[in-house]
Amino acid sequence: MSAATVKKQNRFSAWMSDFKAKSGIDKRRAVSDLLFNNAMYIIIAAAIIYIAVRVPAFLSVSSIVNIVSLTAAKLPIALGIGGAIVLTGTDISAGRCVGLTACIAASLLQMTGYINKIFPNIPVMPLWAVLLLVIAVGAAIGFVNGFFVAKFKLHPFIVTLSTQLIVFGLVLMYLMLGGNNGQTLSGLDASYTDFVRGTLFTIGGVAVPKYVLYAVILTAIMWVIWNKTKFGKNMFAVGSNEEAANVSGVNVFWTIVMVFVLAGAMYGITGFIEGARIASCSANTGLNYESDAIAACVIGGVSFVGGTGKISGIVIGVFLLQIIFVGLNFLSVDANMLYVIKGLIILVACAIDMRKYLARK
Amino acid sequence: MKKALAIILACVMVLGLTACGNAADTDGKGEVSVFYYTYGDTYISSVRSAMDKLLDNAGLKHQNYDANGNQTTQTEQVSTALTKGTSLLIVNVVDTGSNDAAQNIVDQAKAKNVPVIFFNRSVDESVVSSYDKCVFVGTDYEMAGHMQGQMVGEYLVKNFATLDLNGDGKISYVMFKGQEGNMEAIARTQYGVEDADKVLAAAGKEKLSFYDASNKNKYLVDQNGQWSSAAATDYMSTILAQYSEANNNMVELVIANNDEMALGAVSALQTAGYNKDGAKVIPVFGVDATDAAKDAISKGSMIGTIKQDADGMATVITTVTQNFLNKKATFDGVNAADVVGTWRVNIPYATYTGK
Repeated sequence: MSAATVKKQNRFSAWMSDFKAKSGIDKRRAVSDLLFNNAMYIIIAAAIIYIAVRVPAFLSVSSIVNIVSLTAAKLPIALGIGGAIVLTGTDISAGRCVGLTACIAASLLQMTGYINKIFPNIPVMPLWAVLLLVIAVGAAIGFVNGFFVAKFKLHPFIVTLSTQLIVFGLVLMYLMLGGNNGQTLSGLDASYTDFVRGTLFTIGGVAVPKYVLYAVILTAIMWVIWNKTKFGKNMFAVGSNEEAANVSGVNVFWTIVMVFVLAGAMYGITGFIEGARIASCSANTGLNYESDAIAACVIGGVSFVGGTGKISGIVIGVFLLQIIFVGLNFLSVDANMLYVIKGLIILVACAIDMRKYLARK
Repeated sequence: MKKALAIILACVMVLGLTACGNAADTDGKGEVSVFYYTYGDTYISSVRSAMDKLLDNAGLKHQNYDANGNQTTQTEQVSTALTKGTSLLIVNVVDTGSNDAAQNIVDQAKAKNVPVIFFNRSVDESVVSSYDKCVFVGTDYEMAGHMQGQMVGEYLVKNFATLDLNGDGKISYVMFKGQEGNMEAIARTQYGVEDADKVLAAAGKEKLSFYDASNKNKYLVDQNGQWSSAAATDYMSTILAQYSEANNNMVELVIANNDEMALGAVSALQTAGYNKDGAKVIPVFGVDATDAAKDAISKGSMIGTIKQDADGMATVITTVTQNFLNKKATFDGVNAADVVGTWRVNIPYATYTGK
């Protein structure tokens, strides 16, 4: 038996003995607390069971691989935005940032001899160089965001609204470069598409794309940063109480800047993956990606109250949104309902989240 | 330190404004104003770069506006341009669902006696005819759908046996719609299938059947209304998770309202092992003939598209602009076969299959 299962059992048996010791009213409250605190897991389980009963193919290997792949594709941007939310902020420049980095990556990795190559005179660049470049571009935008938030105490909404507009302008200008004339960037080099959506391994005859692995790696890295580093602890400290953090010697300025830089780097990676995943990048690429990412974080319990949130929560949040997307398609539900259901889930998730917070107070 | 920073920031701002100073050396009087529904649209971008070149060559000062997909923004931009003293409006209207937006623009222009040329996104005849100095340069928006349907039908009839993967005598298809409430999207979604059915029926084949019998819309739409490849990729990979050759219910045909969505579907198909070198090809059709789509067609990962002639459209708009400004007959120098009545010019479409 592994250490983790022992720990889980202990937690469970502790809860049970605690529960048995309680009186009637307390018992009822303990149960409702348990239900509320795990509401998202219960909703996911209920959704999966309902969809699977109606359409058994929902739980087929290919369907599960598809949901996991979609989750992997949308995960990095959410992991980045999560940090900004922990600081009680937000980042609405994320989607456009993904768009810019996707266009940059695609333009530098178009195959030689493609008619509309944006830079006809440079050969296909090595993958690592382009990856580092888009991470740097994302981080630079993140730095601008973080700098203005930290230095001038501007609300992140305002700062990132500005950078969102600036970055969109840059995307439009970038797409006009060379002989491109605002055309969709396509004709990607095989090395790039293979690196991103090539087969990682096949399971039951279904190919799992490589970007699933990258999402797993990024999740692991972010988990370590959030939970095991001084920077991560500082981030939570600043998020829950900036004054207190400052007094206890945390460099608030650099913590805020670095959270946004890290987020920007994640958008750069998202852009790199997205460029090859959808294989045709235009000015529309990345539009509204931040709204799904923010929704996923909030659903996963990264609270706008600040200072709380878990990487596992973000993964769950992204996962739930993809289950809804895929599930409603499997059920052939009118697409308009997707908006309603998404909205309701965000509302319920936030309400439950605040309920926990209010109860603690 | 703080003061210095503030001064530097202010300087950067001023520099930025002077850098955009080509607006500052004109008072806006007599210039031509061009309004685009969004700079984000690939096809409109090619019209824009062609127009910029042609207007410059004709020696016409012009100012471009980006409505960014928002009719309110565009209406405000039109008011601003009219107050500035523009000599002519060239409008790619945002809202095509109702006549109100276009009529509003016409009324404002009429009050100042400024000619209006609408282009690309359809405007109703009643709106255009309400002002003698107003024309529409576009494409017969229903035509693209008709031609796409015809192309799909002919391709299917020719290759029916190989395309009908499960041998049930029916081709199951998926249709990707770009946007709800857009006339072009509605027409393409409808005729892309109807006309293909007609060709199939004439050849004695069964009609197309939508891959998901319980979806009553018979299309999947980009939820953001952006005709985007990402939406098509996500839908297509979800479809492929449920429908496959192994399950004997594989989607056998993909029709998309535009090339970006078509390419998005191709990307998902390639991830699943189709539509690349030596692999089985599920036929994918789009509209626009963007360079990316032409490239995909030449590689065989896409089958066909409908070409919208961006240069042709820009040329006609510039000709009509000069006619208005020089008080010549409105359609002087425009191919008479393309002129419809006294109110519009249709730029012809063409099928593109790379052959």
